[in-house]
Amino acid sequence: MPLRVRVVSPEREVFRGEAQSIMVPAWDGMLGVLPGHAPFLGLLGRGWLKIRLAAGEVWRTYVAGGVLKVEEGAVTVLVEYAGDSPPAVLPAEADFHPDDLLAEPAR
Amino acid sequence: MPKAREVKRRIRSVENTRQITKTMEMVATSKLKRATDRVRAAEPYSNALAGIVRSLYSPEFAEEFPLLRQPAEARRVAILLLTANRGLCGGFNANLIREARLLRERLVAEGRETELHIVGRKGVAFFRFRKVPLALARTDLGDVPSVQDAEGIVEPFRDRFSRGELDQVLMVSAEFRSALSTPPKVTELLPIRPAPGARPAESYLLSPDARVLLRRLLPAYLRNLVYKALVENAAAEQGARRTAMKNATDNAAEMLETLTRNYNRARQAQITQEIAEIVGGAEGLA
Repeated sequence: MPLRVRVVSPEREVFRGEAQSIMVPAWDGMLGVLPGHAPFLGLLGRGWLKIRLAAGEVWRTYVAGGVLKVEEGAVTVLVEYAGDSPPAVLPAEADFHPDDLLAEPAR
Repeated sequence: MPKAREVKRRIRSVENTRQITKTMEMVATSKLKRATDRVRAAEPYSNALAGIVRSLYSPEFAEEFPLLRQPAEARRVAILLLTANRGLCGGFNANLIREARLLRERLVAEGRETELHIVGRKGVAFFRFRKVPLALARTDLGDVPSVQDAEGIVEPFRDRFSRGELDQVLMVSAEFRSALSTPPKVTELLPIRPAPGARPAESYLLSPDARVLLRRLLPAYLRNLVYKALVENAAAEQGARRTAMKNATDNAAEMLETLTRNYNRARQAQITQEIAEIVGGAEGLA
């Protein structure tokens, strides 16, 4: 059962298709998702998003900021930025260090 | 009976008008197509993000996050009105302005403090003329609103709501049902009251925890509400303009038909008269 993957930014759909697996730059490091992954909600950081397509080749794009949702074989990646190269100015959502989040006050 | 020459002049004038409205109709049609595409393209992100926020939200956060504050009473309310920069789009701007005006009157009657933030030259012009003080007047947005535009508009609301300077933010914008139907609607931007019913956060693995996730996502969520409204407004404006210009073109065509008939009649009358004169003159000579 391939993964149904959808990558969307506020303005457009960046990618939609089936994949064997997907590598996502989560807030604290790269995160791989294979078919059968448990339902998951995670914050994105910045980096290359790699999608291994059903045919085997890898589709990639640079993303920064956003959130990842996995549920029942469907992966939705909401990104603030997506492009062929890192953005000149990072969106505020991606402009943080993982330690910032760990140190965030409870309030 | 008007002179044939005068009728001819009117025909020419109406023909010119028809040419212009026809062109505007075609321009609006092509812009509408692209604007509609943008509305469709914005939907997946905004639906998915709204769903995630609904899943993560829990009433207990309301006390922790300034942005999720739920004021018991809305003492100070900001109205954000989105209008177009240009007219010639039927009742589009007038409907939005009326909605905002009535909303403001109602809030004032309830004894609330209000402030008016307006995007679009038409709305700004209306309230300036009536000497209503405006907290924000932006006329620099084009046909293709960007996420940055939305951020610029929503940022002060976020900050001021968090600081407790505002208790409620209402947005008046057009709903893009179709090119023919673009009624005004009022959306509550703040306070955020996510509708329950989404899949609960407990059924997901969360990374980081719900608190941090939500804090990071809420600003984007708010910005997206405004971005979506800007995009919808732009499409609705083009739809309204196309309809208005189509009606104007049809009216001009109808008017031309009548005028052409009048012109032919006047010309025929003139010819008949000339013949009668010639015949009369010839008879006089015989």
